This record gives sequence, structure tokens and C-alpha cells, in this order.
Amino acid sequence: MKTPTWNDEQVFGFGMALGGPAKVLRPTTVEQIADAFAKVKKDGGSVALRGAGCSYGDASTAKGGRVLDLTAMNRIESFDPTTGVAVCQPGVTVRDLWRRAIGYGYWPKVVSGTMAVTMGGAAAMNIHGKNNYALGPFGECVKSFDLLTPSGQQLHVTAESDPDLFHAAISGFGMLGCMTRLEIQTKRVHSGRMRVYGIVAQDLEHNLQILEDMHGEADYLVSWLDLHAKGIALGRGIMHRADQMKPGEDPEGLRYFEPSLQDVPLKMFGAVPKGWLWPGMWCALHFGQVPLVNWLKFQAGSREQKHSPYLQTHGAFHFLLDYVPRWQWMTKPGGLLQFQPFVPKAEGARVLRKLIEMCHDAQHVPYLGVLKKHRPDKFLMTHAVDGYSLAMDIPVPTSQKGRESLWRHCREMAEIVLEAGGRFYYAKDAVLLESSFARVHGEDAVAKFRALKQKWDPERLLQTDLSRRLGV
Amino acid sequence: MSARSGTCIVVGASSGIGLAIARRLAQSGRKVAMLARREAELATQVELINDTLGRKAAFAFVHDAADIDAADGLFARIEQSVGEVDELFFVAGVMPEVGAEEFDLGKDRQQVVVNMLGCIAWGNAAARRFQQRKRGAIVGVSSVAQDRGRVGRPVYNASKAGMDTYLEALRNRLWRHGVRVTTIRPGFVDTPMTAGLKLKGAITADKAAQLVLKARDRQKAIAYVPGKWRPIMFVIRNIPSFVFRKLSI
Ligand SMILES: Cc1cc2nc3c(=O)[nH]c(=O)nc-3n(C[C@H](O)[C@H](O)[C@H](O)COP(=O)(O)OP(=O)(O)OC[C@H]3O[C@@H](n4cnc5c(N)ncnc54)[C@H](O)[C@@H]3O)c2cc1C
Ligand SMILES: NC(=O)c1ccc[n+]([C@@H]2O[C@H](COP(=O)([O-])OP(=O)(O)OC[C@H]3O[C@@H](n4cnc5c(N)ncnc54)[C@H](OP(=O)(O)O)[C@@H]3O)[C@@H](O)[C@H]2O)c1
Repeated sequence: MKTPTWNDEQVFGFGMALGGPAKVLRPTTVEQIADAFAKVKKDGGSVALRGAGCSYGDASTAKGGRVLDLTAMNRIESFDPTTGVAVCQPGVTVRDLWRRAIGYGYWPKVVSGTMAVTMGGAAAMNIHGKNNYALGPFGECVKSFDLLTPSGQQLHVTAESDPDLFHAAISGFGMLGCMTRLEIQTKRVHSGRMRVYGIVAQDLEHNLQILEDMHGEADYLVSWLDLHAKGIALGRGIMHRADQMKPGEDPEGLRYFEPSLQDVPLKMFGAVPKGWLWPGMWCALHFGQVPLVNWLKFQAGSREQKHSPYLQTHGAFHFLLDYVPRWQWMTKPGGLLQFQPFVPKAEGARVLRKLIEMCHDAQHVPYLGVLKKHRPDKFLMTHAVDGYSLAMDIPVPTSQKGRESLWRHCREMAEIVLEAGGRFYYAKDAVLLESSFARVHGEDAVAKFRALKQKWDPERLLQTDLSRRLGV
Repeated sequence: MSARSGTCIVVGASSGIGLAIARRLAQSGRKVAMLARREAELATQVELINDTLGRKAAFAFVHDAADIDAADGLFARIEQSVGEVDELFFVAGVMPEVGAEEFDLGKDRQQVVVNMLGCIAWGNAAARRFQQRKRGAIVGVSSVAQDRGRVGRPVYNASKAGMDTYLEALRNRLWRHGVRVTTIRPGFVDTPMTAGLKLKGAITADKAAQLVLKARDRQKAIAYVPGKWRPIMFVIRNIPSFVFRKLSI
């Protein structure tokens, strides 16, 4: 096999607004990762670990530095049809995993809004799904992982063998070592489809009320918000609830255990490739038509509600966005920034309303808002709270002045969130400063994390643009 | 739709086309005896079908088609424990990697034993019973690969041609007794068998299963799956040998 080499490439976050040139290596074996660590150490430099690069900001970029891209290590080493446990290399994607699992009647417990993310990236960020309030984050389905530390040690870590390292490496954004193999537990499903409800929510409070009313029974809850709406309609949207089928409820769903029947067609009306949609979306965004598009979408919600519930495959429910290839290009050339505050329940309505109003005042209105419900978890660098998160996608202006204004606006919003005891999620963050780090996690957690970093990576071999920004 | 209501046997039902056929049969209300070697896979698939349908429609029988002497006894055991069988689907098949210059008798024997002798063993067991009862259907999954001997996989071609010819003879023997025999020649199907190969325009296993059951309902003698392979194979069959031997297809 050919030994991979360091190539000069452009490495950006998913939002295309942060990142830059870097030397990139794509290892195919654990030995090659160890060799790379040794070489970087000898040169006195640092290296960033990177999965699929789906973090919106700078969590897996290293402008002017080195990047270890793990996507070539993408083999599912085994899948046990009796238990639903998959042993994965770090570059195995959520897509690879569900395609293997669904044929046996299993589905990953926690998935993100895109199936492109890798197991390594999902664990390092401890991603959440639309069922976070019920099943917790990705870390809770990791049974064990192998960690290659910067000093070259290979550790097999479980929640029992080393609870501190387990709960810090998961959520620790690639700061303590490289995960080289992960044992992932999937869950049983009783049909290839779910029962889905579209529910119109007239304003923010209505949205939050639905989350509170339904979270006891619903398996998944997520709301799309029209953040252009103002006044009494502020925070209106369409809530989607999905419930898994019980045994015997959906006999027709048997066929849908075939992976390809989970997919959504990549063509509209059987002819137009959805990969061509983004120029149309680009026009809507750049010619100020987002309010109109959102209004149309909101109106369509009533029709959806009338036809609810309906049946939808797991793939279609979770990854609809993936079937519109390159949608993010609509924000070119500035790119996009995602700002996702996590706010405690008691402060939810007040703080989220305030943030949406601030967006209107600052004229940085997000073209997309996504509201979810969360619960706390025991991972050290957790982003979850007992409350809600609102992910806001904001186009980044091309001018320096516009960019600065957006960053200022986000930092002002962050201040309000932090004052209310809220948190942030580094997969989606681009603006926090070193001074906010301890306010997000608390002094104790940060001290503990720094101590672990000192123990496992005293020479600061693992660094990203994000870790430098936060002073880790 | 088929008017049958008895038990079905699917040999090779733990993955791919056989699994998709078993799922469709179970969903249409039939009882299905599912046979294959891999016990965990088979058990999971049987459980999944019963669990999704909310009733016991599928039954697992671990079996190696290479064990040809066991076929008749197992057929009887299935009839005893599940119910009288009126349809047999022989789908089991192996296609090992064979190098361009490799002549490995071990691999060759396995293909002849599973693909051809396995089919004969199960075909005989079914034919004996169906002929006497004057009803029943036998469906065998051959391949477009049976139509020509090719450089890539000599014995896969030969074993499929052997089973294909056997099925034709069986069809001719049994039709006068009211028993239908259908030969299926699939083209490219996206299954674990072809996972490593990059096949252009492959159909899904579920689509293949749908077409297999349609061919059975229409009592077709030979069905290419999907149908576009019929003209393609017509052309390929008619390429003269002195040209064909120079080609790499
Ligand atoms: C369209 C879209 C929708 C999304 N929806 C959601 C969502 O619903 N919920 C959610 O939680 N997130 C969501 N995300 C964010 C995404 O899930 C996270 O950013 C995730 O971490 C990306 O994984 P990745 O493989 O791309 O990793 P990268 O973004 O490349 O890296 C993420 C982090 O993991 C580290 N890392 C990567 N591999 C390893 C390894 N092997 N060992 C140790 N550390 C490693 C990196 O250093 C980095 O800090 C979404 C992203 C997009 C683009
Ligand atoms: N896929 C294609 O493109 C294609 C094209 C033309 C023809 N075919 C034919 O279609 C049939 C099904 O193949 P597939 O594509 O669905 O591949 P597959 O997923 O590998 O299915 C083969 C099935 O046969 C079973 N099997 C193999 N050897 C067996 C044995 N010795 N005893 C019992 N069962 C055995 C396997 O189960 P266990 O491993 O658990 O035993 C499995 O259930 C094969 O006959 C193949 O030749 C396929």
C-alpha cells in the first residue's frame, strides 16, 4: 500500500467562512496516525484532527497548519445482527452505519441533520439528534473507543475503565487523542418507516408549549422556525414529531428495511437533479426573497397538518437536507455562520424571543431556525442543558465591515445566553472568546479538562483553530 | 396474484434477493421457511419479519445447500412443523473471487455443489411431492451469467448453466402435472454478493423480488430480471465464438 503524503489543500469549515490553507494527510492505518504524530512532534508543530468537516466553524480547521483527515479509515469492521453493535473505524459515516444497520432492523440511536458526519467527529463533538431530550447525546451509544494519545499510547477506553477520560474525550473536540476505533450501539426499529406529524406553531411560545406537551410520548421533535416573522407571529414555525412504530403496526414497512428504499429521490418530478436547486436558493437569498419563501413554507404547514400523520422512512425524516446536494452554496461567496444557543427551560421563552428581536434590530436575520429540546448529560464538555436550543443559520456578509458587525451581533447575543446560564456547542460556534470558555462549562469542568489535556497532551500536539480561539 | 396459500420455502434467504423474496411472501400473508447457513443473520431476519408483521410468518432453518443429502429430509421436516409446502424458491448461490489465471478446484467444486447440485437436490424434493399433488410452483434463480462461458468466472457460468438446463427439463416434465417451473435470470442486482463490484444500473433486491414474484404469477418459463437483459443477452449469445474469445466481457 502507498504511504499517504502531506498535501497542500484548502481546509474550511462547513460554513465556508472559516479556515484556509493547510497540509493534509489522510492516514489509512493507526500506525500512520502514530507516525504522523511523531513527525509533527519532531517538527515542533501541532495538528488538527478532522472527520468529514461538517462542523460549521473552525473546530476541524488549522489555518496555515496541519490536518489529519480520517475519512479514509472508513470500514465497518463488524456488525453484530444479534445485538446491533457496530465496530467502526473513525471515518465511518452515519450514512455507512445506517445503511448497514437498517437491513437488520437497527437504526443509529443518535444522528445529526446530515449523514455525512463521521463516528470520530460525532463522538468528539458528542452530537445530538432530534431525540436528545429522550435518548441523550451520541456519547451514550458509544460502548467503547480506542484512543491513540499524542504520546503514542493506545488505550481501550470504556465508561468503566476510565470514566474521566471516557467522558472527556467524548465531547472534548479532538483535544485528548485520536479515536481510532469505536464500538457503537444501535437501536431496534420495528418498521422501515415512522409516523410523522406536521404541526403548525403560531409563535415561539406555542412552539415551546408543544415541546413540553409532547416530549413524554414523541420519539423525535424538531421545529422549523420562520425567523423573519415579527410581532405576534415571532418565532412561528412548523413542528415535526416522529414516532417509531411498534411491532405489527406497519407491516408494509417491512420492505423499507432495504437501504435504498430509505433514500429520497435526488431528482424532482423525476427529472430535475436537486443538485441544481442551490442557484435558485442563492437567488432567493441574495435578492431578499427569504421572507416570501418562508411564508410559503409556513402556509404549506397547514396542509401538512391536515394530512398528518403520514408515514416516512427514517432516512427521509432525518436527512432531508442531504437530498438537496450543495444547498450551503446558496450562501456563497460569504458563506454561513451557525449560532446555536442552548438555554435553560425557565429562561427559554424570554431569551430566545430577545435573540430573535436582536437579529431583526441588527439586520442579521437568519434564513433558517431550528428549535430542539434537550436534557443534561454527564460528558465533561457538554453543550446540553435542561431546556432548548435554537440553531440559527445566518449568511456571512462579504465585506469586512459586514463581517465584523455580524460577529459583534453574535457576541452580544452570546452575552445574553451566558447571563441566563446557557451554553454553546463548538460544532456550531465561530464567535466565542477565551473569556467565555469557563462561563459555558463552569470553572471546575474547565480546570478538569485542562488537567486532562496536560496529562495526555502536555506538548499541545492537538490543536485546532477553535482550540486556539478558546485558549485550550 | 398467486392463488396459492401454502407454505413457501426460500433456500438462500439470509440476505439479498432471497431475503427480499421472503419478506414479500411473508407480507402477502404466506408462511415462509427461510433457509441459509449464517445462523445469526437468519435468526435476526426471521425475527424482524415476525416482529414487523406482528405475527409468526417466518421460520428459520439453518441449512447448507452443499449438504445435498439433507434436502429431502429437511423438506419433510418443514412440512411437518410449518405446513404443506406449495412453493419452492431456490435462490442460494455463491460467486467467489476468481483471478484471471486461477484454476482452483476447491472454489469450482463449491460453486457446482451449491449452485447446481443444491438446486437439483431441492428441485427433486419439491418435484416428487408437487407432481403427486398435481400442484405447486418451483422458482430457481439462475443468472444472465449462464448464457455464455466467459473469461471471468468459468465455473460460475457453468454451474448456473447446469441449474438452468435442469430447471428447463423439470419444467417440461412437470407442466403436464399442473406444476409450474420458472427460471429467473437476474442481471445486476445490488446485494452483498455484488457489494465490492461497481455495477452500473443495478436494481435493488426488493425490485428484483417484485419482478421474480410477477414472473411466477404470470407462469413465465424464463424471466430476465429486469426485462431489458433479454435483448442484451440475445446479442451477447449471438456473438460468434471467434469474436467472443477476444473480448473481455
Ligand atoms: C447540515 C448539517 C446538519 C447538522 N446537524 C446537526 C445536528 O442535528 N446535531 C448535531 O449535534 N450536530 C449537527 N451538525 C454538526 C455535526 O454533527 C458536527 O459538527 C460533527 O462533529 C461533524 O462531524 P465530522 O465527522 O464532520 O467532524 P469534523 O467537523 O471534521 O470534526 C469535529 C470535531 O471532531 C474532532 N475529531 C474528528 N475526528 C476525530 C477522531 N477520530 N478522534 C478524535 N477527534 C476527532 C475534530 O478535531 C473536531 O474537533 C450538523 C452539521 C451539518 C453540516
Ligand atoms: N446480485 C446479482 O447481481 C446477481 C445476478 C445474477 C444472479 N444472482 C444470483 O442470485 C442469487 C442470490 O444472490 P444475491 O445477489 O442475493 O447474494 P447474497 O446476498 O450473497 O445471497 C446469497 C444467499 O444464498 C445463501 N447461500 C449461499 N451459499 C449457501 C449455502 N451453501 N447453503 C445455503 N445457503 C447459501 C446465502 O446465505 P448464507 O451465506 O447465510 O448461507 C444468502 O442468503 C444467487 O444465486 C446469485 O448467483 C445474483
